[in-house]
Amino acid sequence: MSGDAERGLVVEDVHTAYDKADVLEAVSLRAERGKITCLLGSNGSGKTTLIRSILGLTPPNRGRIVFDGTDLTDLPTHKVIAAGIACIPEGRQVFPKLTVEENLRLGGYQETSPKVLARRLDRVYETFPLLRERRQQISGTMSGGEQAMVSIGRGLMSAPKLLLLDEPSLGLSPILVKENFNIIRRINEEGITVFLVEQNVRQTLAIADFGYVLSKGRVVAAGTAEDLSKTTEVHRAYFG
Amino acid sequence: MDVGLFSQYVMNGLMLGMMYALVAVGFTLFFGVMDIINFSHGDVLTVGAFAGLATYLGLVEIGVSWPPAQVAIVLAVAIVCTAGLGAIVAKYLVLPLKDAPALNTLLLTLMLGTVLHEAIRLFYPLGANPQRFPSLLPTDAYTFGNFTLRIDNMMLLLAGTAVIVGIHLLINKTKLGLAIRAVAQDSETAKTMGINFTLIVLITFAIGSGLAAFAGILHGLYYSEINFAMGLLLGVIGFSSAIVGGLGNIYGAIIGGFLFAALQTIGVLAMPFASAYKDVFAFGVIILIMAWRPTGLIREKISERV
Repeated sequence: MSGDAERGLVVEDVHTAYDKADVLEAVSLRAERGKITCLLGSNGSGKTTLIRSILGLTPPNRGRIVFDGTDLTDLPTHKVIAAGIACIPEGRQVFPKLTVEENLRLGGYQETSPKVLARRLDRVYETFPLLRERRQQISGTMSGGEQAMVSIGRGLMSAPKLLLLDEPSLGLSPILVKENFNIIRRINEEGITVFLVEQNVRQTLAIADFGYVLSKGRVVAAGTAEDLSKTTEVHRAYFG
Repeated sequence: MDVGLFSQYVMNGLMLGMMYALVAVGFTLFFGVMDIINFSHGDVLTVGAFAGLATYLGLVEIGVSWPPAQVAIVLAVAIVCTAGLGAIVAKYLVLPLKDAPALNTLLLTLMLGTVLHEAIRLFYPLGANPQRFPSLLPTDAYTFGNFTLRIDNMMLLLAGTAVIVGIHLLINKTKLGLAIRAVAQDSETAKTMGINFTLIVLITFAIGSGLAAFAGILHGLYYSEINFAMGLLLGVIGFSSAIVGGLGNIYGAIIGGFLFAALQTIGVLAMPFASAYKDVFAFGVIILIMAWRPTGLIREKISERV
């Protein structure tokens, strides 16, 4: 550990490109430990690319990504996960042909103790009692809302220090969206640092501590959630 | 037809089906994790059979003559050789090309297969000729009318069944199997679960190729003969079996393997005057099945992405 300055997630001057098209340009941001930090931006602003860069799925061409003092920039994805990061991906991405319980167990893939895994599984089932009932169901046959539970539960199975959420409210009904935000808040209250990528400005800023706005691959605004809700940059980023 | 003779055909069909199924499972495993066709697979089987034969000759040379020990060591060496070869193919031919069109990998592995069997032909002593494979199992036989039940064939069938059951358990009941299935369904999400993708691909190729060696030794013990080109037809049949069962589905591959053997056997039974045409008959029926069910016999019940 290299002191307080490197606690939490630090993204420094990250440039990421697919083929030759630049997607992220000089993105710098921080997700402070124990807080909810959000990243707002419209479709195509580069939000998912940033998540992919953090996870090592699309490594950045330039810049540095550090988590709790560990440099993640050139690590393969499974080592990024080993550093204590979990991701709830865009579109939930449950393994459709696996059962609910198999999906959850994959979330805790790197935990070797069966006892610890059983305890975490129990906790997920306490949070989502429906999943306990359906634990032998093939995930692909569940509704979108149920799959969202599987995806969130799976993300918690590794007992992560940092949880990355990529548009968790996408495609859910308004009631489920609200419930989803409550769950995110509860996860954070248990001490997990949250980095939340969203398009849903109002509800996101309502639970976030700090936020950034991404537009065309650049950070165009940053501030406390309260400040951001007042600034016009947020609106500009969405409505041009 | 005479019951005894019929039983003999069934026994032979089961034996062939076992070999085809083992080869087909390899194809389907490779396709599962990497979405590619590894056309060197049949020739990897040949390498396994020759590695087994060379091991046997070496054992005789150093005076190991107890057949059970010979069988165990021959199998172990052959499986380790091809498992290593499979992992090397994955690491240096398949993984580096994972962003290239799948056809490139297909072509590359096809060429590698040619290199492998030509190398055996050129470098194995008298490799261009068929090689006698020793009978390492007890050859006692019981005769019932026209049916001769040989102990060694029974043992081969049981061993093959045990391997297939073992693969089923490995894939469905172990953490490694869960990781393989996760990578097969969605490799990117599997990575974000903390699965070491590269390692799982290498292990999967090692397992599939190890199965090929097992099938190669089975072939050698059953026919008492191996040759450098044995993998060509076995590869094509294993590939067809995997496709007809539904590529990517292990049970489909097993069913496909036994189906192909059944078709060959039916071909011989129905046309005893023209048993040389059994492959023509079997492949013909496979073509009809594919026209009827283009995605294979076992259809995916759930769409991959909603």
